[in-house]
Parts: sequence; C-alpha cells; structure tokens
Amino acid sequence: MGLLGFYLRKLFNILKGEVLVLPSRVIVGIFFLVVLLLPAVTQDPYLLRILILTSIFAILAASWDLLSGFTGQINFGHALFFGVGAYTAALLNLHAKLPPWGSIPLGAMGAVLAGLIIGIPCLRLRGTYLALTTLAFPIILMGIVFAFPSITGGELGLSGLSRLSGSRLSDYYITVVVMLGLVTIMWKITDSNTGIIFHAIREDEVAVRAAGINTTRYKLLAFCLSGFFAGISGGFYAHFMRIAGPSTLEVTMSFTVVIWAIFGGIVTIYGPVGAVFVLFPLLEFFRFWPEYRMLMFAVIVLLILLYMPDGLFPWLRDKVETECPRCKIRNIATRKTCRICTAPLD
Amino acid sequence: MKKTTVSWIVLLGVSFVMAMSFPAWGADTIKIGVIGPMNFMQGKGHWNGAIMAEEKINGKGGIQVGDKKMKIELVKADSNEFINVTDATNAMELILTRDKVDFIVGGFRTEAVLAMQDIAMDYKTIFIGCGAAHPELCLRVAKDYKRYKYFFRGTPFNSTYLVKTCFIQMATVGAIMKKALGIPKVKVAIVAEKAMWVDPMIKAAEGFIPKMGMEVVGVWRPSAVATDVSAELSAIQRSEAHLIFTIFSSSVGIPFARQAGELKVPAVQVGINVEGQKDGFWKATQGMGNYIMTLNTYCRGVESTVLTKPFVEGYVKRFGETPTYTADTYTAIVLNLAPAIEQAGTLDAEKLIPIMETREFLSPSGTVGFMKDAEGRHLHDLKWGPGYLTSLGVQWQDGKLKGVWPNKWKASPEAPEITYKGIVPYKMPPWVVKKYKK
Amino acid sequence: MRRGTMLLDILISGLISGSIYALLAISFSLIYGIARIVNLAHTAFYMVASYCIYLGIYKLHMHPVWGMLLSVIIVTLFGLISYKLFMDPIREHEAAVLIGTIALAMAMQEIMLLIFTGDYLSVPALIDGYFKIFSVKVFYQQLLTFVVALSILAALWVLLIKTRLGLAIRSTAEDREVANLMGMDESRVTMITMGISVALAALTGAVIAPLTTLSPFMWTHPLIMVLAVVVLGGMGSIKGSFVGAYILGFAEAIVVFVAPMGAYLKGSVALSIMILVLLIRPEGLFGVVFEEER
Repeated sequence: MGLLGFYLRKLFNILKGEVLVLPSRVIVGIFFLVVLLLPAVTQDPYLLRILILTSIFAILAASWDLLSGFTGQINFGHALFFGVGAYTAALLNLHAKLPPWGSIPLGAMGAVLAGLIIGIPCLRLRGTYLALTTLAFPIILMGIVFAFPSITGGELGLSGLSRLSGSRLSDYYITVVVMLGLVTIMWKITDSNTGIIFHAIREDEVAVRAAGINTTRYKLLAFCLSGFFAGISGGFYAHFMRIAGPSTLEVTMSFTVVIWAIFGGIVTIYGPVGAVFVLFPLLEFFRFWPEYRMLMFAVIVLLILLYMPDGLFPWLRDKVETECPRCKIRNIATRKTCRICTAPLD
Repeated sequence: MKKTTVSWIVLLGVSFVMAMSFPAWGADTIKIGVIGPMNFMQGKGHWNGAIMAEEKINGKGGIQVGDKKMKIELVKADSNEFINVTDATNAMELILTRDKVDFIVGGFRTEAVLAMQDIAMDYKTIFIGCGAAHPELCLRVAKDYKRYKYFFRGTPFNSTYLVKTCFIQMATVGAIMKKALGIPKVKVAIVAEKAMWVDPMIKAAEGFIPKMGMEVVGVWRPSAVATDVSAELSAIQRSEAHLIFTIFSSSVGIPFARQAGELKVPAVQVGINVEGQKDGFWKATQGMGNYIMTLNTYCRGVESTVLTKPFVEGYVKRFGETPTYTADTYTAIVLNLAPAIEQAGTLDAEKLIPIMETREFLSPSGTVGFMKDAEGRHLHDLKWGPGYLTSLGVQWQDGKLKGVWPNKWKASPEAPEITYKGIVPYKMPPWVVKKYKK
Repeated sequence: MRRGTMLLDILISGLISGSIYALLAISFSLIYGIARIVNLAHTAFYMVASYCIYLGIYKLHMHPVWGMLLSVIIVTLFGLISYKLFMDPIREHEAAVLIGTIALAMAMQEIMLLIFTGDYLSVPALIDGYFKIFSVKVFYQQLLTFVVALSILAALWVLLIKTRLGLAIRSTAEDREVANLMGMDESRVTMITMGISVALAALTGAVIAPLTTLSPFMWTHPLIMVLAVVVLGGMGSIKGSFVGAYILGFAEAIVVFVAPMGAYLKGSVALSIMILVLLIRPEGLFGVVFEEER
C-alpha cells in the first residue's frame, strides 16, 4: 500500500513538474484522454468510424514525417507503403487465412521490404529528384497490380477480408491504442540518438559523414521505419474497410499525406497527427456542401501555407510558448523568467 | 490574440457538434437513401430517377403501409466513388446512422459498391444496386444468404449477360457486313479498356468469334482514361480489321470514336461504349462518332415495354436528356419497393425480402425477375432473355441515337422473334461500304 | 514490309507525343530553373486554358484562333496573379511551395468541376482532317503540334541567347544573389519568366486540346509525365527537357505498338526508364548540380 502511494505521489510529481508546466504537453495529455474516453460520452458508429479512419491516417502521416521531415528525404510516393501494407495484409488474410493481428504486422514487413527497394536507388538522389522518383514508384506498382489481376484483384481490389474485431467499439479501441502507441514510439525514436542523427542528416549530410557516421545506413533505416509504420496503417485500413484496392496506391493518397504533414508542421511528430485530426473530420464535415468540399479544403491549405508556412501546430506552439535564450528550455509564454535557469524571458 | 483563437475554436467545435446531430425530420415518412457519384452523369441519373419516383408516389398520396399511407422522403448522399472509396463508405454509414434510412438505392463503381454493400448488410438494410454489374455482388447473396439477403440488383443485368448480349449484337452486325459487302471472313479487332471487368470478356470473345465464322486479328488494351488512341488506331488499320469490337466504360470511348471517325478507319464499331450512350457524345466527338453502335438500356423512340415511353418521355421532359440505366432507381422505388411494401403491409426487411425475391414485374426496360443459381440458391440477380431483360443495341445515325437491336432477333431457333417498337435498320458508314463493296 | 511500317508508326507516334511532352516540360523547366519553384499546378493551367478555349468557341462563338488567343491571355494573367498571391510569399520554403502548388491545382480542378461538371467535353481541331505519310495517317492537328513545339523551342532559344531579357533570365538562373547585385531586378525577372511559363502552358493547352478530351481531372496524368521528363532530362535544363520528352514519347509509342495488350502500361514503362537513368546519373541527363544544393 505504501509502495503504491509512493508511485502515485511520484506520478503526481512528474505530472506537476513536467507535464502541467507546458501548455503543449497539457494539450497532448488532454488529447490522449479525450481519445481514450470518448466512447463514454457517445458511441455513435458514424463518429467512431471517422475517428478510426483518422487514427489510421494519423499513423500514416506521422510515418511520413519520420522519413521526410526528419531526414529531409521528401517522399512523394508514401502511398506505396500504404498500398503494399494493405495488399500484403489482404493476401495473407485471404490465402494464408491469417487473422488481422498476424496479417497486419507481416503486411508491415512487406512495406519495410518496399522501403528498402525504393530507398536504395534513392540514396544517390537529392531534393526534387528524390521527391519525383519516389512519386513514380506507386504508379509503377499500380501498373503491376493491373497487370496481374488474378492475384491482385485488378481494379476491384481484394475484398472479403476479416474484420479487425467483433464490434465497432472494440475496433475503435484497438485502432486508437495502436495509434497512440505507435506515435509515441515514433516520438521516442526522434528523441533518441537515432533521431539526432536524422536531424543532422537533414541539415548537412556531408558534415555527418565527416563525423564518421554511416549515413547510408541511417537513411535506409529511416525508409524502413517509415515503411513499417505506414504498412501497419495500410493493414489496418484494409481490415477496417474489408477491402484492399488500387485506391490505396493513388497519387492523390501520396499528395494528401504530404499536405497533412506539411499543414500540421514537419519535423515534429505531433504536427501531422494533429493535422489529420483537424483536417479529416473537417473534410467530412464539409460533406454538407458536397460541391464545395474539396475547394474549401484546398483554400484552407493555401491560407495556412501563406500565413503559417512552418505548419499549423508549430505556429500555435510559438504563440503559447517561448524558448529561453540561455538554456533553450521551452516555457509557457506568460512567464517572465525561465523556470529552470531563471533567466529573463523577453 | 490567444483569446480570439480559443473562442473561434470553441465556436467551430460547438457548431460542428450541433451540425453533426441534426434531428431526423418527418418520422412518418419512408426514408430512401440515394447514393451515387452526384457530380457525374451516373449519380445524376440515380438522383433524377429517384426524384421522378418521389413525385409519382407522393403525388398519389404515398405508399399504403398496413393501415396508413406514408410518403417517401429521399436522402441524397454523394459517394464520390470515382475519386475516393473511403468517402463512399463514409457516406453510406452516414445515411444509415444519422439519417436512419429505411432503404438504399444507387451505387456504381464496383470497388466501392462491394464495400458499401458490406456496410448496408451490417445494418440489415435493403440495398438495391443500380449501376454495378459484377457477378460477385450477387454471388455473395447465394454464398451467405443470411447476411447478404438484403441486397438486390436493380440494374444492369450482370456482366456475363452483358457479354452475351454484346456477342449477339456483334454477330448480327458481322452477318450484315458479310451479306451486304460480300466479305468471306470478317476480321475483328478487339479493343478493350484496361479494367478488370473486361478481362473475362476478352477471353470469351476470343473463343466466341471464331465460332461465328469470324477471325480475331488483334487485341488492344488502351488505358481507360486514354485521350489519344491514334497509335492504337494506326495499328488496327494495319491489321485490316472490318469490325472493331469495343469494350469501353470510361472516357476512352470518346477519343476512340472521334479519332476513328476523323481518320475514316475502314471498320465498324460495335460493342459497349458507355460514353456513346450519353446525349453529349455527339458533341464530345465533334460529330465524328457517327455510326458507332453500343449496348444501351434506353433510347428515345424505342419501346421495350408499354412502360418505356411514359418513363423515357417523362424523363426527357423533366431533365432534358435521355435517361441512362442508372435512372432505374425509378424502377427500384416505384415498381420494386412500393408494391412489395404494399403487399407486405410493413417496412420490415425480413418480411419484404421473400416477396421481393419471388415477384416479377413489368418495368420500362423489360420484365424484372430474380434468379437462382444452379443449386437453387437465391442470387437476387436479374433474369436475362426474351420476355425478361434484353437491353438494346443503339447506333448513332447523323446526330441521333437510334435503336437497331433487337431487330428480328431469335434467342434460339424455338424462341419467338423479337423486334421492339421503334427499332430501325442498322446503317454502315459510307466509307466502309466504299472500301469493301465488290 | 510489315516491320517497316511499324517502325514508321512508332517514329511518328513518338514524335507527336514527344512534342506534346516537350511543350509542357520546357515551360515547366523554365520556372524551376529561375525560381526553384516546382510548379505542380503547371498542367492545371494547361487544363484551365483548354476549358477557356471551350468557353470561347461554344459560349462566345469565337473562331478557334481567337479562342486560343483569349485563353492564353486569361490564363497568363491568372497565372501571374496566383504566383504573386500564393507562390511568391512562400518561395523560401521549398516544401511549402510544393504543397501550395498542389493545393492550387486542386482548387482549379474543383472550380472547373463546379462550372463544367465532370462530363467530358471536346474542342474542334484548328485544322481538320488528316494526311498520309508513307501509308501512316497523321492528323493535321498533330503535325501542328509538332511544328509548334519546334518553333517555340526555337523562339525560346532566340529569346534566351540573343536578347537582354534572355541574358537576365539565364544569369538569374545561375545565381540569384549575384544577378541582383549586378543590377537585374530579380523579382521582376522571375515575374516575367513566370508569365512566359504560364503562357506556354496555355498555348500548349490551345494546341493539344483538340487532340484530347476535357475533364477536370485531365491535369494529373500529364503532370506525372512532365515530372518524369523533367527529372530524366535534368531539372533546370531546357535542352534536357526537350531530349527527355522525346525519349519518353518514343518509349510510350514502342510500348503501344510492340505490346498492344499492355498499352495501359505505357505510363509505368516511361517512369521505370526515368528511374533507371537516375540510377546511373542522379542529376538526370543534362542536369546541373549546384554547389549549395548538395
């Protein structure tokens, strides 16, 4: 009992000292709580469906950021990982009769393989060349999908996949918990030594090589990790929709992922996640004006880019937090002095 | 600045929640969801057919359900299925949960309808598909009757029959050419868009054509959205084909007809060209799409049954264009659902299904009856043949679509000869006649 | 004899598709070379131009040539305004520019969808009819495209090499800051280049529109091909875009003639070629690698 109390007090202190100190962390905490506790308020299947799809795409967008935001290798063909994950999970489910908890991770491994296949040629390319080459891969794969309709189902895709779980509610919890978990893992990766090397590769690859680090390995690692997470989201999508079709490989899917990530703010992980949670329900909301939906979406994106070119969430974050000039720790903007080193914040 | 941002967000959030939970009006109406790609011809057809149905039924005061008369209320849902299958499934779920529709009609793109069907079956709601021809949709009914029995095909008849009808039309034209131009063996070029529904048709065609005494000289598969097929046409001309068997459902049908006409390719076009079914085809091909023939369901001036003329003319008067087959949402509501509801006296799907699956009724395109498979299991798929649905063969003749098939057609030696009212003879393009006439 | 005519078919078909891609790719390369802006809305401008011609001919009953002129003017103005409003302010952020141009293209698509709906439309040819070269039928309009592509290339060459404006454009492309120091108004040069680029896209729309079907989604496939061409040829190099366009045009033609069952694969084959070339030469065939962009 005493031990429990000790841990509880420790948790409380951590909360008070680390989390509640910064509004951004508070918001993240609230986000976790809201997402997990929403079914207590409403269990409307339509709303849950929207949130499940949002979570799936949030994993996808965050995985894009991990690759393109952090290592700077802009990937315009992210739909490749999504599609490969979806199709592999579907094939395993249909032919090897694997249940979703088996087919989805294996589907993700397929996407990792795809990551290696496209990562290797892209090692020598830079900037726009890289972006446009990555654009080509899902298109080529789509051609292959159409060329072998007996295996891939052609433009009808593979249908009749098993459900994720028995009910909409458990689907929701599985997806949301996996999303929160994977996003946290991605965040932790970026916060680790590997993450620092990713940052460095983006900033100045030659310097990193000069420091003796094998950038090839890290760049490929980024491709594979990104592929893995995106493949998981692809597998989830296939099992939730119960169909894996060529629409998962479309150019518009790649572009939409990039739009979400940049809208939310690259080189963060929370940016793309937040962006999907804002934009995807917004797009559904605009259903009430079906003709103007996409137009409003495009206009919003343009406006955000004009006024907040670094992304929505970094912009918001800068409004509520400032960085201490001396110790570089973030503080809430209303403070006069830094909470760690007591230097004045101006 | 921070305050206004926060209040903005709160306002947006509140209005979002409010809008999401708008009440269902009119509890005493039958709600019918109409789902389709509303920005495109097919969805417009869905909606227009449904509007005509609503006007007809509500004009009579509604449908007699048991001891009270209930009007119908249409709920429009844009599936956006051509662009985004996810959107289609979201739309389906929305009308089932938010609007709580009692019945659903519509759907077009097979990939989307397969997913939408699953959702409707989850909610045990009757869904009449008005656009997708893939047999799988009805095979599911036979394989898992308990789950999929709520699905019926409204239009068109499934693709195996589509193929059969096409072949019959092609054989008819081939025979006309052989007789009129004295060609010993008609050469056929198969040009089919790259799409999965087409693949089995090509194989079947390659097997069928030699049996009719004709020869296949090549198979071309342009992309379904190709805009320039001059390369393919060049190759087809070199193959010296007399007849081009077209299988197009997408936009490629327009440039193909146009460029073939501009180049005066010495071959006739028969088969499926969905763009060729639309009134706008003539203009879209700059008038070069003359003489092409395609499968179709409706044609001005042709009467498949006594109900055809009032429907087609009513549609033309109301909407200014000939109906395409997706407008059969009208049949689904007025002639399929309404009488079944009146007969059952209830909206309960469980009671309606046994009635619907055994009923046969007259419709503007023919007699509708539902099939069983070889093992006697219900398929809820449309019956084909003389006396049921045969569809039409239509040909563009100088700016107008004319019905040219069935013209003295016998499905089998013992079957009755069929010619619908309003059918005219098939015409060959003059440059083809000039090239081959001996 | 059969083999011979097929080769001829491929040659002619390749020349024609190559010219179409060359027209689009050259104008795309221009603005990339100068302002480092990857204008993904480029083919969307081409789409708007085609629709403008449709409007001109069918709603305003103009002669096709006047319709072309009108559409070029309108689209150029529209391009300049969108550049000033949407692309200029965010030029520094490369990623933002990419997204911005995609969003712009989507907005244009939606507006066209609203005005014209998704139905397919078409535009009459400038010169009707066809003629025969060695038993291969070629449309006059296709010949026109080929001729226009070559003349535009020639005109551009003259502009860039022989005129002072061309000198300004070339030096701004090489080094923006130094050009500024030398007294060339860099932003004005960029505006003018943008104008030329969009005008060319509009002209391409005018010339190609009769060969194709108009739909609000007609810009996506050409965009992918243009990107493939430009990357293959080397970004920022006009000569490279020209050569790349014809290479990919011939590749497509070969696929259609040699493998008619696989005609739909012509896009994938073209892209695979692009990737193969990039494996060997990461800057593309004629691409220039700038020091600070490593």
